[in-house]
Amino acid sequence: MDFAGAYTWVNIKFLLEGFGVTLQVAFFAIILSFFIAGAVGTVRYAKVPILSQVFAVLVETIRNLPLLLIILFTFFALPEIGISMEKIPAAIVALTIFEAAMISEIIRSGLNSIDKGQIEAGRSSGLSNFQTLRYIVLPQALRRMVPPLVSQFISLLKDTSLCVIISLPELTHHAQVIYGQNSGYLAPILLFIAFMYFAVNYTLSVISRRLEVKKFNPPGSDSVSRIFPLYS
Amino acid sequence: MINFEKVNKYFGDFHVLKDINLTINKGEVVVVIGPSGSGKSTLLRCINRLETISNGMLTVNNLSVADKKTDINKLRTEIGMVFQHFHLYPHKTVLENITLAPMKVLGQSEEEAKQIARKYLDKVGISEKADSYPAQLSGGQQQRVAIARGLAMNPEIMLFDEPTSALDPEMIGEVLDVMKALALEGMTMVVVTHEMGFAKEVADRIVFMDQGQILEEAIPAEFYENPKEERAQLFLSRILNH
Repeated sequence: MDFAGAYTWVNIKFLLEGFGVTLQVAFFAIILSFFIAGAVGTVRYAKVPILSQVFAVLVETIRNLPLLLIILFTFFALPEIGISMEKIPAAIVALTIFEAAMISEIIRSGLNSIDKGQIEAGRSSGLSNFQTLRYIVLPQALRRMVPPLVSQFISLLKDTSLCVIISLPELTHHAQVIYGQNSGYLAPILLFIAFMYFAVNYTLSVISRRLEVKKFNPPGSDSVSRIFPLYS
Repeated sequence: MINFEKVNKYFGDFHVLKDINLTINKGEVVVVIGPSGSGKSTLLRCINRLETISNGMLTVNNLSVADKKTDINKLRTEIGMVFQHFHLYPHKTVLENITLAPMKVLGQSEEEAKQIARKYLDKVGISEKADSYPAQLSGGQQQRVAIARGLAMNPEIMLFDEPTSALDPEMIGEVLDVMKALALEGMTMVVVTHEMGFAKEVADRIVFMDQGQILEEAIPAEFYENPKEERAQLFLSRILNH
């Protein structure tokens, strides 16, 4: 193990560049997949005819495939039918497809978890279906969705490392490049990138816990903080 | 005001409402009683189309409830509903619970809606809880908020679906008092309840249901003194002598 040799400024700068790509890919994939999943999840929750069946088939198919396969397919197979992309867009597309399927299930089950009585109370006061969703169901469902959403986002960020398979110049790929030159660097470099992944993901989960406890839980409600006092 | 004519309702093969004929007039307080599973709640829920009828004719204010052309959201603004389990919105304060529909459906300004909400909170006796969240209130208080929420829409009809069944015994009185006051003001009310004292004192008419049918309709004194139907006699003896 050669820590001094591994942690040169050149190497660290190279890793940081890779991390920049990791964050960039994760950021766009999170934004895109969240909006697509929001639409898909809501359509399936509302049981919009035909569309919701089509989405159900798509979601089930994608959810049951390995992400690695989707990445390979997007980058290597799609060009054969005329859709070729650079590495970064290909990675974003592949991750978005997979994560949108996962997140749409979180959104659908979050919406479904709201007591039907809430909907009846809203509808019987004259609110339309959409207004009931917008003012009654969604705000409550969102609160419940925050923890699984954040953990899915964290998964997504970690899963960007699978893009080494298409040589996406992200953090894990750059680590491989460095320790490929000298096997003594392997452990120090892996430790270093482990720390980087951990730092970002841990920050995300801490922020989500804060959000959960402070913003979304009105006083006196059944909050996570009451069930698990450690959280507060 | 509310008129059932040969109304039937099925849940799949299950015949929940059988040939219901019932007329409820403006200002009347009708209490629906009967054993569980007799279809009383379903009957009530048909009035604002929380349940759809299978056939027959059901009108509210001479509008067919089942008719696709009827603007159901508009009709529902005329019909307040109070549920067994309150169904207050847990993410909103008491005041916000009450002002939501008046603002979004009737288009009231926030100012106006709040003023009206406070008036009704005062009426149900919990004006000091305006800024609390539902989870901070007792069951009785929550149900009174739910009544205020219904009243804030200024409805012509109030439906009550077992409003005291989920309450601790010592809280039932406070909710019934609010309902009595409402009845005295001339509100048209349809109440599904097991509270016989309330029925006797407040109801203009008792409707007794069993197995999806209306077996007996009578004024309370008559019904309690001298129920005609054997099934009603049995039901009364069970709930009054325990």
